[in-house]
Amino acid sequence: MQPDTSAIPIDPCKHCGTGAPVDVHFCPRCDRILTLGRHGDYFTFFGLRRRLRLDLNDLEQRFRALSRLFHPDYFHNSSSTERLASLERSSYLNDAFRTLRDPMARLEYLLKLEGFTPKESHDATTKVPQGLLEEVFELNEELEAIQDMRAEGASAAAIALRLSAARRPIEANLARHEEQLHARMSEHDARLEAGDPEGQREALAELRTLLLERTYLMNLLATVRREVSAGEAAAS
Amino acid sequence: MAYSDKVVDHFNNPRNVGSLPKQDPTVGTGLVGAPECGDVMKLQVRVNPDTGVIDEAKFKTFGCGSAIASSSLATEWLKGKTVDQALAIKNTDIVAELALPPVKIHCSVLAEDAIKAAIADYKQKQEAGQAS
Repeated sequence: MQPDTSAIPIDPCKHCGTGAPVDVHFCPRCDRILTLGRHGDYFTFFGLRRRLRLDLNDLEQRFRALSRLFHPDYFHNSSSTERLASLERSSYLNDAFRTLRDPMARLEYLLKLEGFTPKESHDATTKVPQGLLEEVFELNEELEAIQDMRAEGASAAAIALRLSAARRPIEANLARHEEQLHARMSEHDARLEAGDPEGQREALAELRTLLLERTYLMNLLATVRREVSAGEAAAS
Repeated sequence: MAYSDKVVDHFNNPRNVGSLPKQDPTVGTGLVGAPECGDVMKLQVRVNPDTGVIDEAKFKTFGCGSAIASSSLATEWLKGKTVDQALAIKNTDIVAELALPPVKIHCSVLAEDAIKAAIADYKQKQEAGQAS
């Protein structure tokens, strides 16, 4: 599907002054590579709509095609403006590809684009469900108890057993979150296709909460993994 | 960035660490967290139901030095205050007392949220007690 270009602002070509939409990479009149001044976003750069579920093969093909077009080698003999433009577009393209190919980075990026990043972390803290907080608190207490066990010289096997028991509910919770995230992403895209901005924002708000909770769980799991490797280091 | 002496002091000698019985009708529990940094903070108050004065305050925080210091300081301040005075404690008071740098202000916000949550829990228990 073609992106809706009607609302995209116009940026003039530095060479001939022709106006070009920001999602166009080469001047429609003189065909020169356009300076990357005011530009759209990672999605428009690839000619994509702001969808959360992307076909990765398609994305990679677009990436390869664009990187060939922008490659600095082709601008070796061009003006310095064009050489700079090719560098800027190549580097922006790499950033855009790195972000869009990872579903979670893509989601975070879209949330930022749509203004869903809280100004202060405080805004977000109140939204964590109490059940999750309790889970996080209890696991932290359990980890503390495991650290005490280690300090008191408990066997590595006993510690490993308790650690694996502690991580299981977190991993299960994370898997549930992953499923919900993907379901909401599909929901968002369906609303986008249906031209329902309100429904889209609703889905994004839910995604923002889910993503925050996921960060919490990931942080916890990282702590558990540190404990596990500390145990392995001590055992060897 | 270095921690202020007061933060280091509260971190090394945290006051009032521990738990109060959660089910006790005179105990209010506040559990709050900041997913971005993984911090989680539990703050509890025991209120004398006749005077409305906080007799005891306990906390347990898993997080950075500033989060621990903020909650430790909060429990010190809470003791001897009435429930309404406790609600008047602002995160900016904690920031000023501990000389927290801008990146750690959210720790003081967390402590204020914990106080409010604990008092709200206590009030809710009192109302439920009167209703039955």
